[in-house]
Amino acid sequence: MQAENRDSLANTFIVATVLCLVCSFLVSAAALGLKERQNRNVTLDRKSNLLQVVGFTPEQIAEGGGIEELFEKRFEVKIIDLETGKEAVEQVDEAVSAAGKDLGDDIADVLANYDQVWASKSKKEPVADEIPSGEDLAGIKYREKYSHVYVMKDDDGKKVSKYVFPVRGKGLWSMMKGYLAVEPDFQTIAGLTFYEQAETPGLGGEVMNPSWKAKWKEKKIYKGDEVAIKVVKGTGSGEYQVDGLSGATITSNGVSSMLEYWLGPEGFMPFINSQNSKTKTTSNLPSLKKGGSNG
Amino acid sequence: MAKQASASSLIFDPVFKNNPIALQILGICSALAVTTKLSTSVTMSIAVILVTAFSSAGVALIRDRIPSSIRIIVQMTIIASLVILVDQVLKAFAFSLSKELSVFVGLIITNCIVMGRAEGFAMQNTVRDSFLDGIGNGLGYGFILIVVGFFRELFGSGKLFGIELLKLQSEGGWYEPNGLLLLSPSAFFIIGMAIWVIRTFYPDQVEEA
Repeated sequence: MQAENRDSLANTFIVATVLCLVCSFLVSAAALGLKERQNRNVTLDRKSNLLQVVGFTPEQIAEGGGIEELFEKRFEVKIIDLETGKEAVEQVDEAVSAAGKDLGDDIADVLANYDQVWASKSKKEPVADEIPSGEDLAGIKYREKYSHVYVMKDDDGKKVSKYVFPVRGKGLWSMMKGYLAVEPDFQTIAGLTFYEQAETPGLGGEVMNPSWKAKWKEKKIYKGDEVAIKVVKGTGSGEYQVDGLSGATITSNGVSSMLEYWLGPEGFMPFINSQNSKTKTTSNLPSLKKGGSNG
Repeated sequence: MAKQASASSLIFDPVFKNNPIALQILGICSALAVTTKLSTSVTMSIAVILVTAFSSAGVALIRDRIPSSIRIIVQMTIIASLVILVDQVLKAFAFSLSKELSVFVGLIITNCIVMGRAEGFAMQNTVRDSFLDGIGNGLGYGFILIVVGFFRELFGSGKLFGIELLKLQSEGGWYEPNGLLLLSPSAFFIIGMAIWVIRTFYPDQVEEA
């Protein structure tokens, strides 16, 4: 190749154009070709976290026929309106289309494809509300209007055995995203896990430590209608306190505030109230009022 | 280039004699970030080896065609495309590792080693030599990463590849983990000591004071 024409204007354009075409072809081919596999990984990862948070061990998952099958068998996916606590699949479909995204044709597609983190991040009126400053305990800025709720059924598929709420909130470095499983009394915690976080490994990252996660089991949530469960510094005592992570005060506080937000009136409390009032006649569960309404 | 370098010297020189981290002090930031665990260190090393090798080969392949006015951009485009490829492949086939490495795979683009080899070596050398040189420098980077990852995971969390070796006090064992090793600054100490060891064996690397 002659060195003279290599720096010519024409050659510069040719090289730039051809290179960009080749590279963009490679990148798009990889992105498209692998997309399905990647999405499957993400859904599988979420489902595996949901199974773990309600207490399935990897062995039990394998016995139950794998993640997909066991999830299908034991979980019912719902979408609720956070404000009213009522199921809202049709409304979600409409709201999301209004925000410019298509969730698919039938209810199963809507349930599977709705992404509440996307809704919150989109900041669009039909799917998310801005949180007034000072009330943003979880540090998410916008709260989605609709949320998933995962209902775990008994072995025979009749009675509800656990409810799982998606929760998320800011730690020190990252948005920690996870699942909180509660017993049907909405008072006892069955488990807490995170499927996405980037806290300091070994310090805040210990939110992923199985022995710390095990401490959440059997803890209680509400005192009256206040969210009382807290991560405390050092060793927690009693059923409302969980040991703090040493060297990770901000992450620990993040977990506390996240739960306070998501279990509070802006989070799942309306849903919990509506469920409790349904079962009120047959049990004496505490009815939780929407915070602030009782003066 | 007049002399034809041998394949083994192209591959192994950058590991000890001319290590990109220890001698050239390049690529430090990712060496701090991903070395809390061995598994992420190894994955990151493999990713960097692949990217450096193929980007150097790619640059060498079209080196006579690249106009000097846009050569840096051309190199960046090739590197960036390869990094996206690696990231996509990891997300598809090693999902949990890609979750742990998060942004750092993407940041290979800014790793000075990759760029340095493309500009400093591949622009003047054949495809074969550049490819081998890329592998060598990736190995040199990976070598330091694995050494650092080994010490940080072993003494910071008592494990290697996630397998418990030293039973931690918090789980009823005897070992009190060294929390400093889990924080990024500790990698500086380990890299410093690695440089010390390497320069004891290769005194000509010592800079004049």
